[in-house]
Amino acid sequence: MTLRLAGRQGRADAPAPSADQAGQADPDGPADPGQAGRVSRAGHGGQGVKGGVPFGLGGWLRWGWRQLTSMRTALVLLFLLALASIPGSVLPQEGIDPAAVSQYYAAHPALAPLLARLSGFDVFGAPWFAAIYLLLFTSLAGCVLPRAYRMARSARQPPPKAPRHIGRLPQATSFAAPAAPDQALGSAAGFLTKRRFRVRTGEGWVSAEKGYLHEVGNLLFHVALLGLLASVALGGLFGYKANKLLVEHQTFANTPAGLDVFRPGRLVTATDLQPFSITLRSFSARYVETGPQRGQPLEYNARLSYSASYGGRLRSYDLQVNHPLNVDGVQVFLIGHGYAPEFKVTDGTGRVVFDQPVPFIPLEQSGLTSAGVIKVPGASPRELGFAGVFLPTEVVTPAGTLASVFPAAWIPRVSLVSYAGNLGMNGGQPQSVYSLDTRHMHQLDVAPRPLAPGQSIVLPHGLGTLTFTGYVQWASLAITYDPGQMPALISALTALAGLILSFLVRRRRLFVRAVAGDAGGAVVEFGGLTRSDAAGGFEAEFAELAGEIMQTVGGFPAGAGQAAAGQVGDGGHAGGAASADDEVVLAEQEAASDDDQVALAGQRESE
Amino acid sequence: MSNATLVSAIVLYAVAMLAYACDFAFGRRSSAAAARSKPERVATVALVGAAAGPDLSGHAFPADPADPSELADLDLDAVGGPSGSAGSAAAGSGSGQGAGVAAGALQGRARSRWPEGVWVRAAFALTCAGLALQLFAIATRGIAEHRVPWGNMYEFIAAITCAAVIVLVLASVRFRAYFTGLFVLLPVVLALAVDVVVIYTPVGALVPALQSYWIAIHVTGMIIAIGMYVFGAVVTVLYLLVARHERRVAAGEIPAAGGVLAQLPGSTLLDRLSYRTILFAFPAWTFAVIAGAIWADHAWGRYWGWDPKETWSFITWLVYAAYLHARATAGWRGRRAAYIQLFGFACLMFNLVGVNLWITGLHSYAGL
Repeated sequence: MTLRLAGRQGRADAPAPSADQAGQADPDGPADPGQAGRVSRAGHGGQGVKGGVPFGLGGWLRWGWRQLTSMRTALVLLFLLALASIPGSVLPQEGIDPAAVSQYYAAHPALAPLLARLSGFDVFGAPWFAAIYLLLFTSLAGCVLPRAYRMARSARQPPPKAPRHIGRLPQATSFAAPAAPDQALGSAAGFLTKRRFRVRTGEGWVSAEKGYLHEVGNLLFHVALLGLLASVALGGLFGYKANKLLVEHQTFANTPAGLDVFRPGRLVTATDLQPFSITLRSFSARYVETGPQRGQPLEYNARLSYSASYGGRLRSYDLQVNHPLNVDGVQVFLIGHGYAPEFKVTDGTGRVVFDQPVPFIPLEQSGLTSAGVIKVPGASPRELGFAGVFLPTEVVTPAGTLASVFPAAWIPRVSLVSYAGNLGMNGGQPQSVYSLDTRHMHQLDVAPRPLAPGQSIVLPHGLGTLTFTGYVQWASLAITYDPGQMPALISALTALAGLILSFLVRRRRLFVRAVAGDAGGAVVEFGGLTRSDAAGGFEAEFAELAGEIMQTVGGFPAGAGQAAAGQVGDGGHAGGAASADDEVVLAEQEAASDDDQVALAGQRESE
Repeated sequence: MSNATLVSAIVLYAVAMLAYACDFAFGRRSSAAAARSKPERVATVALVGAAAGPDLSGHAFPADPADPSELADLDLDAVGGPSGSAGSAAAGSGSGQGAGVAAGALQGRARSRWPEGVWVRAAFALTCAGLALQLFAIATRGIAEHRVPWGNMYEFIAAITCAAVIVLVLASVRFRAYFTGLFVLLPVVLALAVDVVVIYTPVGALVPALQSYWIAIHVTGMIIAIGMYVFGAVVTVLYLLVARHERRVAAGEIPAAGGVLAQLPGSTLLDRLSYRTILFAFPAWTFAVIAGAIWADHAWGRYWGWDPKETWSFITWLVYAAYLHARATAGWRGRRAAYIQLFGFACLMFNLVGVNLWITGLHSYAGL
């Protein structure tokens, strides 16, 4: 087993998504772990508990670092990251759907707080999730950066010497040529150079190598992943996300007070926000009106006017779902829509105390039945509150309940429950505008019926009147600013390019030896091996090159038997002593690592 | 018309499956199996004994020209290098190409890509006919809807089964992987049957979120990648079965000849075929995920929001990346890597079915 360890003073494993081996000697696992164990022990710098030599702190740190940057650790961490992402997709997440999280709390009162302690509702921001991907990226960086450095340093190194027994290479053939050995070698070297191989000549041999871009692609892919992480971090620090629900004919300005939801990055302050303002002139939606997909939305269109700065020029824009607005580097997206029925409330004294649209939130998408509340704190003698639903196309179901069967407002109705009392808005505690706290209110006895536009509810005891005056629509906008967006895209595309490059290019070496044959000619041996034949096809390339070299040198096959044995090239592999340099060349091929520089360094100089 | 064509395609695939099965039962390879097992066992022993020997990239078995080796049935170097030619010399007792081919080894391919054997030819022809019908069905549906025909789950499953059959046909022609026909068509037929009977949705328009030219880029990329993943998974299952079969033969538990498994190529070559499939599929999947992120940023304002479908695409990507890393790690090649790939495929299937049906998110376009 010594030959396997020869020249493997470097890493036991190395990251190479395009593995060098296309096939295995034995498909089963059990044979390998023993060898793997031996290899990794060899990778401990030669020391080990086995030999009874104590490690010391430096040794332990080095061992730890070796383990962290090994392929096995990368495998484990990849799996861990995948496993850790699963709860993030199954449990509702705060950042995506806070309403679903509240529902989960209501449905699982005992389990939910426990999950919250474990960051179950914020998996992707959880410390343990960050630990996994940070470890993975450390492992990646610790392996890739030294390799990149080594590759840059040795990018100009010539290929290794040709092995003595070319016939033992996986691809090998031999033929006779009429020219003298030196001539044959010269023309072979010239041919290979023309084919853009890096060629090195010596006493009676020529060696050629090609395919360095494989390693370049490999490293590019992994470094680009690091770049992707950096871009995401950049966006997280300096970017922000915000939401705003904008009713028709209303305007808002991009300030923390003007936004409904504002999630800044860590280093973002209020003064960093771009000072644009947007008015929703009108919103329209089209739906399928007939057929089996009746009610399915066809088109949403939010017609906006905006100005990029205070008092700046007013521009218009048609905002649609796949058609965002870009203002001052910030992107505005159309996320949702709904109805805002308008109400006019006259209180007991006859004053109009409320006259505005109230956004109602859709409960379901097929008919856009929406729920909302109206709070009238300025009413006297009692504060008034109303809660209910808005039905764009109202029908009475056979069961007697109200439902909306179409999302467009063909038969708009509102059905409200009235309350009077203390809204609780003076207590200093913030309330949601979409929920009514009825703890200190009593429900009023009003005959229940849905209101059509123009109809009113007259409240008992002279408390006032509510009139449903009409409706408008609202659109919800997502506002995002992410300076890391373009770098992330560039990193991702670079990673893809590196990946494809490393899969397509194979690193291969060819060797030619010529000795004087009988009748003044030469017997030329031509062999090759590939270290990273990910995509396969080296046999085909070798056959083609062999044919062309034969033609260049002017040779002819040395005989069918020889050729056949040479082609298969497995004759000498099943045992038998071999010279050291052959073993190293072959050991490189079977090694799990693409660590060429180590292999070159470990190669014997014997000839 | 589109529906009727699709159902006809299913019927054709089913008949093709039958023909492939008949090929296994009655084809010439039944005689090749017995002869093949002997050198295979010798090679296994030789390799075990010489465990220090290097990996020979597929040359694990000596190619005796008189032996119908499994190389005859699987040509991973399609242009036909020395191994291919040596194998072609034994291209089957039924084809009589003779050993003279070995002498002309360096002069390029001397063997046809097309299958030998009546049954395989018929099966392949049926498969191609079924594929043509399925493509026609998808195209007519797209014309009827005036849009790219993948907007809901019914259309999506029809598209990925079509992609899987396209990969099957391409692999059959390029790698002579005709033996995979039966095993790939089986899940295709089952999926299409479920699709047509249970998941069917009538022709309709796209919801506004999908109305973008990105649908042609992102979803098409996904379909191509999934088609390749399906093929890879089928070949991996075959690899595991054949490897187990070989182990049992080597242990003397069962005779070498007989049965479908004995007629399949050796486990090493199956593993290589599966690996090459994933090498194509992984960059395609990466591209599709990136395209999805670009589209998400365009439509929803962020390029990655951990939406359930995004998360599961990421998980699938990670597991297949782990598979590729495993192929480069000593001790993890072979069976363990195969299990990893199948786990990745399971994640993919959950992404397609589970996330669409059971988890709601921004990606719920199943239309069910």
